[in-house]
Amino acid sequence: MKIVVAIKQVPERDAPIRIAADGRWIEEGDLSYTINEPDAYALEEALQLKEKTGSGEVIVVCAGPERVESTLREALAKGADRAIRIEADDLQSLDTLGVASILAEAIKAESPDLILTGLQSDDLGLGQTGVVLAELLAIPHATIIMQVEPTGAGLKVKRELEDGWFQHVEMPLPALLTIQSGGNKLRYATLMGIKKAKTKELKTVSPTTPPTAPAITLERVYLPEKQKKTEMLTGSPDEIAARVVEKLKFEVRAL
Amino acid sequence: MSGVLVVMEQRSGTWNRMSFEALAAGLDLAAKLGLECTAAIVGDAVQSLPWQSDTQPKTVYAVEDSLLKDYTSDGFVTALEQLIRKLQPGYVLFPHTYQVRDFAPALATRFGQVLISDVIAIHDGPVFVRQLLQGKLNADYRHSSTGPCFVSVQAGSFRAEASSGGSMSMEAFAPALESSTIRNKPGERFRESAQTVDLTAAPLIVSVGRGIGEQDNLPVVEELATALGAELAASRPICDNGWLPMERQVGSSGQTVSPKLYLAVGISGAIQHLVGMKGAKTVIAINKDENAPIFEVADYGIVGDLFEIVPALTKAIQAAKS
Amino acid sequence: MLAGALRVVIPVRGIPATTLLPDTTGIHYSATLAEPAGFSSAESVLLVLCVLLSAGLFFWRFAPILRNILRSRPDADFSLRPIGRRVWAFVSEVLCQSRVIRQRPLPGLAHAFVFWGFLAFALVSLNHLASGVRLGFLDPQGRLGSFYFLFAAAWAVLVAVSIAGLFIRRFFMRPVWLGEKLSYESGFIAFLIFLLMVTYLGAFFVDKGSTGVNLLWWMHTLSLLIFLPLIPHTKHLHLVLSPLTVFLKRDGFAKIPPLAGDEDFGLVAGKDITQLISLQTYSCVECGRCTEHCPAATTGKLLNPKEIVLGLRSYLNELGPASETPLLAEARDTAPADAHQQLLSMEAAFACTTCGSCEFQCPVGVQHVPIIVGLRRGATNTGAWEDTYGTKLFLALEKSGNALGLSAMERDKFIQKQQFPLFDGTQEYCLWLGCMGGYDPRGREIIADFARVMRHLGTTFGVLKKEKCTGDPARRLGNDLVFQTLAESGLKAFETAKVQKIVAICPHCVRTIANDWREYGIAPVIEHHSEFMARHRDHLPQQAGESIVYHDPCYLGRYQEIYDEPRAVIAQAGTLVEAPRSHERSFCCGAGGGLAFLGEEPGERVSHVRAKELAATGAKVVGTACPFCNTMFRDALSAISDTPPQLLDIAQLTARAIPASPDPMGGTQ
Repeated sequence: MKIVVAIKQVPERDAPIRIAADGRWIEEGDLSYTINEPDAYALEEALQLKEKTGSGEVIVVCAGPERVESTLREALAKGADRAIRIEADDLQSLDTLGVASILAEAIKAESPDLILTGLQSDDLGLGQTGVVLAELLAIPHATIIMQVEPTGAGLKVKRELEDGWFQHVEMPLPALLTIQSGGNKLRYATLMGIKKAKTKELKTVSPTTPPTAPAITLERVYLPEKQKKTEMLTGSPDEIAARVVEKLKFEVRAL
Repeated sequence: MSGVLVVMEQRSGTWNRMSFEALAAGLDLAAKLGLECTAAIVGDAVQSLPWQSDTQPKTVYAVEDSLLKDYTSDGFVTALEQLIRKLQPGYVLFPHTYQVRDFAPALATRFGQVLISDVIAIHDGPVFVRQLLQGKLNADYRHSSTGPCFVSVQAGSFRAEASSGGSMSMEAFAPALESSTIRNKPGERFRESAQTVDLTAAPLIVSVGRGIGEQDNLPVVEELATALGAELAASRPICDNGWLPMERQVGSSGQTVSPKLYLAVGISGAIQHLVGMKGAKTVIAINKDENAPIFEVADYGIVGDLFEIVPALTKAIQAAKS
Repeated sequence: MLAGALRVVIPVRGIPATTLLPDTTGIHYSATLAEPAGFSSAESVLLVLCVLLSAGLFFWRFAPILRNILRSRPDADFSLRPIGRRVWAFVSEVLCQSRVIRQRPLPGLAHAFVFWGFLAFALVSLNHLASGVRLGFLDPQGRLGSFYFLFAAAWAVLVAVSIAGLFIRRFFMRPVWLGEKLSYESGFIAFLIFLLMVTYLGAFFVDKGSTGVNLLWWMHTLSLLIFLPLIPHTKHLHLVLSPLTVFLKRDGFAKIPPLAGDEDFGLVAGKDITQLISLQTYSCVECGRCTEHCPAATTGKLLNPKEIVLGLRSYLNELGPASETPLLAEARDTAPADAHQQLLSMEAAFACTTCGSCEFQCPVGVQHVPIIVGLRRGATNTGAWEDTYGTKLFLALEKSGNALGLSAMERDKFIQKQQFPLFDGTQEYCLWLGCMGGYDPRGREIIADFARVMRHLGTTFGVLKKEKCTGDPARRLGNDLVFQTLAESGLKAFETAKVQKIVAICPHCVRTIANDWREYGIAPVIEHHSEFMARHRDHLPQQAGESIVYHDPCYLGRYQEIYDEPRAVIAQAGTLVEAPRSHERSFCCGAGGGLAFLGEEPGERVSHVRAKELAATGAKVVGTACPFCNTMFRDALSAISDTPPQLLDIAQLTARAIPASPDPMGGTQ
């Protein structure tokens, strides 16, 4: 099976949050970047599928400036066979449709059997690129997938629904899946993987279609007002209990 | 192009309660913009669904077809595309459910649009507020194109008072669907058989630590967990002593959990424990030592005797639930 | 009597020795000194044939071993320098038998007598064989000769008694560490040695003219010649190899060698076994000291350091040093048939706390830690080791730069709360927090208290703005990628901040920065807070004599030989109590080698065993000098006792007597 994994490079989870001067994004100067964690699970699923079936190819695709090559190299080190970077110096100027369009163009050229991606990104969290990509490529998709099982001509996947429910879905290939985080165990990068990755192909392609005007725009970013702070609840046991119940009802929404 | 269309969600004749939150958001937006609000519900034979709100949109369209009985992205996208082309709404709102995440981006793509997903607030403009970087940052989004603006709203962001009363007559909309265009074959929904405790998936966890003193005291906390419908977990010393099975241990040598609520009872919060539960969305801690490290990570802290507070809390929760 | 005896000369060439023998005292010079009566040329020829046969058999059996050692991969980092340390190790460990005697005084001394006896006997035996072909060179009438034969006789008595004692110990007392299986070969060899001595001594009492002399002579000769070919494939190979092994062993305790080239990922297969490892595995004498002191082996884990070494030896014998077959049992396509190789397993390798007890104990120069870490490297660097907790740890180190996977902001908050100044070059010390000091609530208490001590002493310090793990757990678990990344980032951080001197509360950090980082650069001087406080002990408050039992952390004691400094600090804070196993023999807390971050251990918890031992001293306080020991004992002490002793780091023990200062920056000096 030929599998393409679309990955995104995002700021590290504990990156310092400082609003950029134009107020539309955070300062990128001292950010360090890493693979979007849900995409890491998509890559893991692809690698496991390849290992399970014993054949096939895993190609990682990432759109972005040159810095995303480090993330692609990491993916190669974890076991991907090839990598493609789609030149896009300013991802911020594109909306989901714009990003999905350049991904679709590059992926089409590979005509894979299966496309995997994480269910959403850690930075923007729109959670749509995969579905839009499937729509653009006119292939079926399924989201929030826990397990993938190849069945002859197609796939049987396990989809997560709300409140602990699941559902199996059968679908034909080629198809696109967005992978739920935590369904698999991620693997750690190894020295051997890094050394092998040096000899693997990493090619750069440029999108040919000009970007269309974005349908939605991010106008400004700002720090949310409420920062996590411990609120001490005091009073008699009954008073405390009443206040906790209130919190459980309206803030935790557990009642 | 005008109006606000709220796409509500049901399954086998049961509302997804987030539907009414989305409706509340839609009505609110429509009122702000001076537009009409309509709603749609997709499925097979959904007209008989009892209306569960005191508020009402102008019209509710029952988008019905036997092919829409079980959810498929292909079916829903095609059906809703036809409805939207007919109604020409300026805004299409959804609850940000798993199902919406599965089809709404594709639906928006059909219109050359992008869904503004998981919105927590709508300000004048309209400006749609979303969270970025796992909630560390808020962002204002604006629709910058002609054509319908697609928006999904986060659970709990818009308040819908539940009501059993009210009724609503629905207008049928019959989309043109062909079974051959539906590529996915969904199976039955199922739950994992609960052989072992899977704390990692539990949305609510009540966790007990050394403060409980002895095994005989455990029922105090067990009752709280039962009242809350939460899984019972523990810190290492409790499992070490064999008071609770090892699989209920949270921490570096046990499970790593990320529930909506983590209620820590008598847990001081050694680092080995904290790393196992730092992903919890809300942490409530009850401990007699006001300097216990658990309070550093807690959202709500209660300093006091757990044997007084926990039974009171259990009673209050039972009362709130009944 | 002695004077009479001294007149006796035997191998005077050409003169039949028997004619010169006096027969007055009843004691004769050993028949081993000369050709026995009527020793014919045929017998000389027979002797030569026997010697050739024995030597031939010896080399026939020894050659494959030698070949395996020589054909193993050369050690890339091997250097004979510093030669002084090697000579000293040879004198102390081989000639003086220090390691043999130190941990098992009685059997150790017995062994030493056998060893010294052998040394003394070397000349006698050589002369014995030479005299068989009439080339004897020791003149019993000469001053040297006459003295030497009696000297050797005295040793013969000691050897005979010792070997008999060792025989009784092995076959009747049967200490568990020698292994369950009785080795009849070693029994037979002991018997041969005994025979060798008895025949030598017996000749003193046998009439020179009798056939008994002939019999003794031949018995003595045959004992020797049968013994020789038995050496290569029994543990007695250590007679030949261990002096060399001790001399050649890698310089530095528990030193993890650098990987050699792009194809080296650690000990994956036979091809990765280096010459030193090969030599060491063949030197193993199977005494079981390593196992006896191993915290994993003694608490029911699969790891048995002796079996790791024997597994490697068995592998080399079966598959050779060029083999591509994986070393670890779990990584093989078919499970190994040999029991030793079965125990050369991943589960065992990852049960090691790297406490270094085995390596410290080993009397023949086996360096277990680099071997076990080498096996882990082979498994981790290739991704063969799949462990939920291990993976979580590596991902945490990759992503967050700390072993706990916490956000760096947590450390920032702590620094702000404590009002620790950032290191800017004006302060004397850079205070290294480490993962425990920066993130763990109790570790933070230790750091905060140590900072108070420094402020009290008027020592200026600052902390780094950003600090990542030293890579210690990754290093010991064999993840060279993560370790290298962290080491390089750490070195750069110190360089950028222009740090000159570092002080840290964690022996693991100190060891890793000072020693393991050297592969990638030179870090500033770093010391452990025990060293710092010991140096300033005169300015630290003297407290009343509460009893404090001190636990030597492996990474401070065995790894860095720091024993006195923490004791000096404790002596200032109370009355020092020694644990039953202390100093070099200290027993691990169970946290080292990355194990603090792995899952639940099978068998008994190492920390509980040690905690019981410490609590049993009756001391009011358990004093620690390592935040990992501290965290292990925190759980263990309360689990083993309802009224456990207090648990305090040496910094806390010191700081508790320092009056609180309202201004955190103000000192009292």
